[in-house]
Amino acid sequence: MSDSAASPLTRPLAQVIAAVLAAVLLLTAGIFLGRLVFPVAPSTPSTTSAEAGFARDMQVHHQQAIEMSTIIREKSNNEEIRTLAYDIATAQGQQTGQMYGWLTMWNLPQASAEPSMTWMMQPTLDGSPSDMGSAPHSEMVMPGLATFEQMEELKASTDSPDAIFLELMIAHHLGGVEMAQELLERSTNEVVTSLANKMVLTQKSEITYMNELLSAI
Amino acid sequence: MKPRNSDSPIPPAARKDLTVKQQRAESRAVKVAALKKKQTSEKRNRLIGIVTGIVAAVGVLALIVTVVVTNGTPKVSPDAIEITGLQHYPDTIAGHVEGAVEYEQSPPAGGEHAAAWLNCGIYIEPVPNENAVHALEHGAVWVTYNPDQVTGADLKTLQDSVPSTYSVLSPMPNLQSPVTISAWANQVELDGVDDPRLQDFVNKFWQAGDSPEPGASCSGGVDAPGRIA
Repeated sequence: MSDSAASPLTRPLAQVIAAVLAAVLLLTAGIFLGRLVFPVAPSTPSTTSAEAGFARDMQVHHQQAIEMSTIIREKSNNEEIRTLAYDIATAQGQQTGQMYGWLTMWNLPQASAEPSMTWMMQPTLDGSPSDMGSAPHSEMVMPGLATFEQMEELKASTDSPDAIFLELMIAHHLGGVEMAQELLERSTNEVVTSLANKMVLTQKSEITYMNELLSAI
Repeated sequence: MKPRNSDSPIPPAARKDLTVKQQRAESRAVKVAALKKKQTSEKRNRLIGIVTGIVAAVGVLALIVTVVVTNGTPKVSPDAIEITGLQHYPDTIAGHVEGAVEYEQSPPAGGEHAAAWLNCGIYIEPVPNENAVHALEHGAVWVTYNPDQVTGADLKTLQDSVPSTYSVLSPMPNLQSPVTISAWANQVELDGVDDPRLQDFVNKFWQAGDSPEPGASCSGGVDAPGRIA
């Protein structure tokens, strides 16, 4: 009696559930196996991503550091500053090439369709809103970038080029570290975060060194 | 012996001896059993429905996530950008020469050039072709404008539209179009300062395209008179 009431009704139900579960399991296993045999190419950053924005803006930032370093290397008689300038110019030139190469590999324009620093307005990985707020684009000056006038002053200086260079480059590096940290808050891309981390480390230590050089002048 | 009607708790052989009370009880029992069967069947159908629904929902969600992740922002490949009126000069040669060069186009879109490149920036006076072409070799775009046609607010718009680095902006008297934008081996005449092809051209050719040395310096060369930024 109890058999005839329960089994004809629950058995088909159990069969249906089992069949559905088996289908889902098979599908999942199939997808994993497929991925294992034919790995899907990892999707690359989009043109409005933090990674692409960083790659473009940091190239501009680095290019100015290279220009400043080249200027002071020709002007300065201070061997320590000339060596530092050579170090910065060659290191940042190499890094600029890396970032150029990323954009090429990602099949993205080197040019940005958006104003510079727009990527810093994106929310961070932990979801907190951008501390850059919603400043109008016209006020978004790249952190640490020297103005046209400051560059002209460095080029024209005859009596104190070393001090002008160090002051400009310390500010420039502080801005560079800030930009790299903004990227690190927004990206999990290993290639990009690896370079950003190295920028933070080297530029911080160079800031300490430049402060020492500055106080010795 | 198995009862003919499994719904009935009473074997048919016993029926003729039943009292009215027993007959009512039997009929009630039959109804209760039928109701129970119906309820169980409904319960089963509901469960099947729920399970199917959940599986379908998970499937749809997975599909949506996949689509969003892979197609979040459509790619804008520089190669895929098409520009109406684009002139391409595939046989552009490079090489350093002294003195003036006769260029095949005006403004020139590449060719032999001076040893020193023009520093990128905004100029309010015409710049020497031979130095500007060297900047094109380094990946710059060169935006020239007819100073009779582009003035005041239009000029300000143009100054704000060119990239902050790797671009030269300069007037060129008697220019045929209001604005012309050039990169190495490529050029397009624009209808005005708000022609959308300017940004398309920048996206396609700025520090890219056919320039032989993109990323080579666009500072540390020579300034021409009238550089304001």
